[in-house]
Amino acid sequence: MHTASPNWAEHLSRPVRRLLDHPLVEGVVRRAAVEASLRSLHPMLSLGEVRARVLQVVQETDDCRSFVLRPNAHWRGAQAGQFVRLRLEIDGRRVQRAYSLSRIGRHTLRITVKRQPGGRVSNHLYEQLQAGQVITLSQAEGDFVLPALLPPRLLLLSAGSGITPVRALLQALRGRHYGGDLRVVHVSHDEADFIFRNELQDPALHHHASRRQGRFTAETLQALLPDWAQRPTWACGPAAWLEALQAARPATPAPWNTERFAATPLRPLQPLGAAVEVHFTQSRRRFASTGHTTLLEQAEAAGLAPRHGCRIGICRACQCIKRSGTVQNLQTGELCSEPDQAIRLCVSAARSELQIEA
Amino acid sequence: MNDSLPTPYVHPSSLSREQVAQIGAELDAMRQRVMQSLGQADVDHMRRMIRLCRASEAGGRALLHFGVGPLSWLAGVAALTASKILDNMEIGHNVMHGQYDWTGDPALNSQHFDWDIACDSESWRHSHNVVHHSYTNILGKDRDLGYSLLRITPEQRWKPRHLLQPLANLLLALGFQYGVGSHDLELGRYRHGALAKPVFMERWRRFKAKVGRQWFKDYLLFPALALWSAPRVLAGNLLANLLRNLWTYLIIFCGHFTEHAVIYREEDCRNETRGDWYLRQIAGSSNLSGGVWFHIATGHLSHQIEHHLFPDMPAHRYREIAPEVQALCARYGLRYNTGGLFRQSMAVMRRILVHTLPTRVSTPTPAR
Repeated sequence: MHTASPNWAEHLSRPVRRLLDHPLVEGVVRRAAVEASLRSLHPMLSLGEVRARVLQVVQETDDCRSFVLRPNAHWRGAQAGQFVRLRLEIDGRRVQRAYSLSRIGRHTLRITVKRQPGGRVSNHLYEQLQAGQVITLSQAEGDFVLPALLPPRLLLLSAGSGITPVRALLQALRGRHYGGDLRVVHVSHDEADFIFRNELQDPALHHHASRRQGRFTAETLQALLPDWAQRPTWACGPAAWLEALQAARPATPAPWNTERFAATPLRPLQPLGAAVEVHFTQSRRRFASTGHTTLLEQAEAAGLAPRHGCRIGICRACQCIKRSGTVQNLQTGELCSEPDQAIRLCVSAARSELQIEA
Repeated sequence: MNDSLPTPYVHPSSLSREQVAQIGAELDAMRQRVMQSLGQADVDHMRRMIRLCRASEAGGRALLHFGVGPLSWLAGVAALTASKILDNMEIGHNVMHGQYDWTGDPALNSQHFDWDIACDSESWRHSHNVVHHSYTNILGKDRDLGYSLLRITPEQRWKPRHLLQPLANLLLALGFQYGVGSHDLELGRYRHGALAKPVFMERWRRFKAKVGRQWFKDYLLFPALALWSAPRVLAGNLLANLLRNLWTYLIIFCGHFTEHAVIYREEDCRNETRGDWYLRQIAGSSNLSGGVWFHIATGHLSHQIEHHLFPDMPAHRYREIAPEVQALCARYGLRYNTGGLFRQSMAVMRRILVHTLPTRVSTPTPAR
């Protein structure tokens, strides 16, 4: 994954952080207290967090808004095509979501948020986030980026809000005065939900309105661009759509880079039909779980010895962070698919493949 | 012990299996309802407490360092004591129970939180969350029962050392933070060879490290920073720690060792269902009545019954469910043990004094 190296702000704050983390200092003044004090002095001040102020909110389509952000000095910069993870607190709960950067300026960046039906974070951002507010984000991440040496032919392919990283890639290509054969294909329902329609007046762009022109499949692309499989491609859109295109793509040496939206989680109500793999990342152990008993029991049956206490959901000694996947809380029946959530192994059952920090 | 007097209450063991299951289901539903309503207000409450605690510590230390005269010294001690009590009771105890883990805020994470007391948080998470909350009031299992030091029930075998119990009790109260801190060392078990040496040494190392950090802060660094006012600051810090010790001792002892708190035997608790477990928590705990700030100062351990039923529910919610728990107890004829601080603490002291002498089990504990 491409991440930029630390900048001056981090070189300055790192020794302070290290000092504050020293046991003797930590016992006197906690880092959380220092961070809280800095924050109350100025919302952008932090010893390590990237924070950004919303400069401007732009309505892109009926259900899509862009936010122009100005990050603090901890921001290391980004390459076109990368994303940031926004960290928010909604109704007392910390959540984070990844959003591709749709424009990267000298001192600003832009994210573009399309409301998802039932999506807690996208709706919260769309409705609540206003100019002047300060949000917390991660450094830029992701390897959906352009190579240093650009190939002579290129295809940028996107669908729906998948245009957001493609928009940044196109901007970067124009900024680098790319003289090769560039084609940009974007698919949306119709003109009204074509994000960036006004700012994207690029001669290389072809827009496909699927409501009028039908579903956009590999055949559509073949008819439009017979050499599509030979072009190094950057594609972003729904996972199923990308997989269908890739399956239809003849094997060629031209690279096929994708950025996909997270797949919708499975929500079975019964024990799982087939076993899923659970990966304990710290102990580097993997085991198969059938989901009919708790993760703790299944891990122990597989010969692992996770830290635990009461085994009945009281003491939290077995609590660890679930990095990805879905678990069901056996006490409440709740499903949890959020990344980076604290779960208790003794009362959670696997509902999908899992990455757990244990 | 207390069963000699006829009481209008039924012993939990005389309830039918259906009633026990029903109580379990009702309490589960109560928990579910509150846990689903958690939100911004709960986090805001905890953050307000943390801000108050920090402000109180800063103010208290400033008064001790820069104040002139005995009044400012007293005010400084009061503020520092308040901050330590808030930190230990309302913030530390509750956060380390995992009551705020649902927020995902690393500053409120039960596994990473540390508090301003000589007890290392890792040891406490074991001795308190695992042992005490799972095995509440089970003789031989719950090591909080008399803190392996005091005899508070006739079921505990009497030894001559129990004659010195009133003195031991006083020392425990004065140095309560070290009592809590050394609790997980299980010195007794180690001396009898029941605890492996490496396990003990690891705990001993953690204990020493935490006590060292606390001493460094309160008795070395801050007095040294005060230069010529060092004695004033040292004495202030000492008194603040002492007052905090007395307060926490009092509240915690009133939680389980009051007159009517039931003590269980290991064999009573085999094949326990969730309903039985709830009943044991109710019978083994006792509440204190008081106002909002009293509850906050006790870290809502004044709602010990609700806390033991739902240890991972944000504690400031206990106030709102307490009437329902009390009504449930009344419906089934169970004792809901509550009273004022003075009455409950007198009951505890009497219990400690009574069992100084070799008392006998007056009535056999009813069989299940």
